[in-house]
Formats: sequence, structure tokens, C-alpha cells
Amino acid sequence: MMRLRSLFLALAVTLAACGGAAADTGTSARPDLPETSADEFEAHLATIDRPAVVNVWASWCLPCRAEAPLLNTAFDEYGGQIEFIGVDVTDNQADAKDFLDEFGLDFDHFFDRDREVPNFYAGIGTPITFFFGPGGELISTHNGVLDDRTLALNIDELLSLDQ
Amino acid sequence: MEFTLLWAALTGVVFAWIGTKIWSEGLPDHPADRMIGAAAGGLLIGRLTEMFLQGINPITNPLDILIVRGGVHTGMASLGAVTAYLWSAKWNLRYLDATAPAALFGLAGWHAGCVWRGACLGTESAHPWAWAQDGSAITRHPVELYAALGFVIAAFVVAKLSSALLVRTGTALALAGLIRLATEPMRPSITGGPVGWYMGAIVVGLVIAAVGARLIEQRIPQPT
Repeated sequence: MMRLRSLFLALAVTLAACGGAAADTGTSARPDLPETSADEFEAHLATIDRPAVVNVWASWCLPCRAEAPLLNTAFDEYGGQIEFIGVDVTDNQADAKDFLDEFGLDFDHFFDRDREVPNFYAGIGTPITFFFGPGGELISTHNGVLDDRTLALNIDELLSLDQ
Repeated sequence: MEFTLLWAALTGVVFAWIGTKIWSEGLPDHPADRMIGAAAGGLLIGRLTEMFLQGINPITNPLDILIVRGGVHTGMASLGAVTAYLWSAKWNLRYLDATAPAALFGLAGWHAGCVWRGACLGTESAHPWAWAQDGSAITRHPVELYAALGFVIAAFVVAKLSSALLVRTGTALALAGLIRLATEPMRPSITGGPVGWYMGAIVVGLVIAAVGARLIEQRIPQPT
């Protein structure tokens, strides 16, 4: 029993030591994220002549942390064919910028303090991912955390639209 | 949306329970409870592994452990589940053999649970049984249902095998890897999927079935 306890203790210490250190709050050198309203965002999408993946996130959202690496991978692979856009909701600029510093997500992001954008497109909760055709036509919505299959399938649908 | 995962898991549990009724010979007492416990243990190990790989500290983000949709490392989850089951069965390898068909049946249920999640579809297909996502004209392979069918067939095949120690366990592991590997090209993926783990399962499963059993058969006590 003692051995088991020691094992758990060692595991706990290891886990604590291995965790990636989050950026300190408010230390980012990034410029503030541009604020947007639902109307402005819709108008912005209308100007984009290729499909778009719009990810709604927040720095306080744990599932958003989980899906961030997948979004990075998808952006690296499909960023040339598909527009990736982030919408940070019900957040503050300092925490949002720290989140981006921690996870990369090297595409355009907007700041939407009042959740106007996801409400406008009838998204539920956080995170949400909207899939738009060229010109801003909403194709599908995924409420909740993205997984590899869901993102790949919906990107495949968007690319098919584009052909 | 997250709750659809629970429905899929519940479908797997129901299938596993049915499996223990169909193939009950040689099982430990309360086999379904042990399998559910093993699955939960495997899920925990798989989730923790995935969090490490994503750079998320489970101590500073403990609630994140519960967000299984954030990712579960399939390979480590499988290893964790088998280890937890063996621990619960007091490391008696004969119980693994007896449980193998029901476990495969449970995996069939998990894959069939894609129906609740709206996550059955894979790559494009013109087959008459292919169907499209809501609002899409592109018909696709119902790849998770293919996998479910494969696991059902595998369960019946494994149940017919020799009862020599670890033959059923090894074959079940190899078949599980083979089914996932064979259906993987029909799953759209950005990361490529855990193909290495599937191949590893096939090789290890075949080795266990063909060689390992013979070497250790004499040392393993029979269940009482």
C-alpha cells in the first residue's frame, strides 16, 4: 500500500513538473484584437471569395485549449485554400492575447465581447466552429469541441464546394 | 453535443453486456462491471496521455480531464483498459480469453454509436448505401458502421477459436487493429490517425496468439 502511495505521489509531482507554463496574464506584446459586431462580421465574410472556418473561442474555455493544436495543424495544411478566422467571445483583451501567445493560432482573430457573432449564427456554447462557403454562406455548424474527424470531414465538404 | 458521446459509450456498454450473455463461458463474476471499469480506466489513461501530448497540465487544468471530446489517445486507452481489466481479474490471463468476444462486441456497439453522434460518415462514395450529411449533396461511406459490422463478425470468429491460453486474446487484438486499419483510409483526417498503433496491435496480437501463449501456458493457474 505504501508503495502504491509513493507511486501516486511520484506521479503527481511528475505531472506538476511536466505541465506547460501558461503565459502570465497581460504580458503579451500583441496588438489588441479588432472588435466586431455581428453585422460587421457578416459583411467581412461576404468579402471573402473562398470557404472559411470560423472558430469561436475564449481564453477561459477549457475545451478551446484542447482543440487549439488541431486548429493549428488544420491551418498549416489548409490555410492556403480556406480562410481560418477566430472569434474571441465574452473575454478580455489581455487574457485573449495570452491565449494566442500560448497556442499560436496564427490566423486572423476578432474580439466579440457580447457574443453577437455566435448568437447571430445560432451557435450554442463555447467553442463553436462555423463552416462557411465563399461569400459567407453558412454551410454547417459544430457546437462543442472539434475532433480530427469532424474538422476533416467539414473541410472536405468546403473544398468540394469550392471546386 | 457532448452528450452524444455518452450515448455512443452507452451503446458500447450495452453491446458488451449482451456479449457477456452470448459468450459467458469462463468469465469472471460480474464481467460487465469489470469491463465498464476497465473502459473507464482506459479512458482516463488515454485522456491523460492526450493532454500531455497537447501540452495541457492535468493538475492545473483538472476539469479538462473530463472533456473527453478534447481527445483520447486510442493506443494508451486500449493498453490502460486491458491493464485495468487484468488487475480487476487478479492478473488471470484466462479471463482475457473468455472476455475477448464480448469486448469485440462492445467495440462494435461503440462504433455503431456513431448514429447518435452524427459521426458515421467518411470519405466520398457512390455506393448505393452511402449517404450524405444534412445539407450536403456529397454521399459518403458510413465508415463507422463498416467497422461495427467488422467487430461483430470478429467477435463470432474469435469465440470459435481454440481455448488455448491467449489465442483468443491475441487474435482479438490483431483483428481489432486490422478492422481499424482497414477502415482508416475511409476516415477523413488531418492528423493521419493512429495508424502505427493499429499496425502494432496486429503484430503484437499475432505474436501473442502464436508464440506467447505457448511459452507461458504452463505457468498460468486455471480460474477456480
